Amino acid sequence: MTVDQLSPEHSDALQEVVNIGMGQAGDALARLLDTFVSLSIPRIRMVELDGIMDVLHQMVGREDRVSAIRQAFFPRLRGEAIVLFPEHRMQGVAMLMGYDLAPDTQQQQEILLDIANILVGSVLNGITQSLGTDLGFSPPSLLASDVPVERVIDTGSVEWRHVLLVEVNFSLDEHSFRSHMLLLMAEEALVPLREVLDHLMEAL
Amino acid sequence: MPLPVTIADDSTLSRKLIARSLPEEWKPSITHATNGREALEAYRAGKADLLLLDLNMPEMDGYQVMETLRTEGLHAFVIVVSADIQPRAQERALALGAMAFVNKPLDAFQLNGVLKDFGLL
Repeated sequence: MTVDQLSPEHSDALQEVVNIGMGQAGDALARLLDTFVSLSIPRIRMVELDGIMDVLHQMVGREDRVSAIRQAFFPRLRGEAIVLFPEHRMQGVAMLMGYDLAPDTQQQQEILLDIANILVGSVLNGITQSLGTDLGFSPPSLLASDVPVERVIDTGSVEWRHVLLVEVNFSLDEHSFRSHMLLLMAEEALVPLREVLDHLMEAL
Repeated sequence: MPLPVTIADDSTLSRKLIARSLPEEWKPSITHATNGREALEAYRAGKADLLLLDLNMPEMDGYQVMETLRTEGLHAFVIVVSADIQPRAQERALALGAMAFVNKPLDAFQLNGVLKDFGLL
């Protein structure tokens, strides 16, 4: 299987499908935090696993420490959603969640799990609706806590050599908070993904 | 003469979906723009009496398009079609002069209802 099996048309369609899911995620987050959430334009690309560190550095900055939450999704489209939270931006969101003082580590992890669950659930639900395929997902779990970004993903333990990377960013206008979501899909997920996107495009 | 319509959206899929929702007789007068800058060019070329405008676009977003139209005293009939369904996004768009806000995923029935409400159909 080659990595270029997602044509520009497929990428365009996937970008729009993710965009719709992201809009729903932004709305859910805005309601939770009672603030306006700025949404990035989703970015879709194939990357080699070896190059994923560069991608993460570009997203969050080379110096930043991050915490990360992961949720797996399945069965027809199989992959991992990873939400990254730069550490130094945590205080703003803790305030919005009603914490007066700096939250302790456990509270901070609960905040991140809640936010990640909302973002991932909404994005995946949006994708499910648009593509008409069912997705299940695992509960969110803490992948990394306050680590340098290169330690988030242990590339040695991942079996995939190429991944489809879907990148979306959320930021709060009035607060120094930003999170990044990656949807990683293995090469083998490209075949069913292409099928559901074809089905969507055929309807036009 | 059909109404000059511009659909501004960075997604080809989305532009096609919107175009398919419009009356058949409008089809020859539809212009596609992939960002806000192209949308303004289309407007200045007389091709956007009705502007179906996405918010989240590269180069120039939908908010900037509406700000420019307002600053320069230009009058397009703007209907925002966006996946950003936050109430504040809607308020902001309407405050900038949008006549209506239609959520994505696009419901053709809803879009046609809006066009009828404003006497465009």
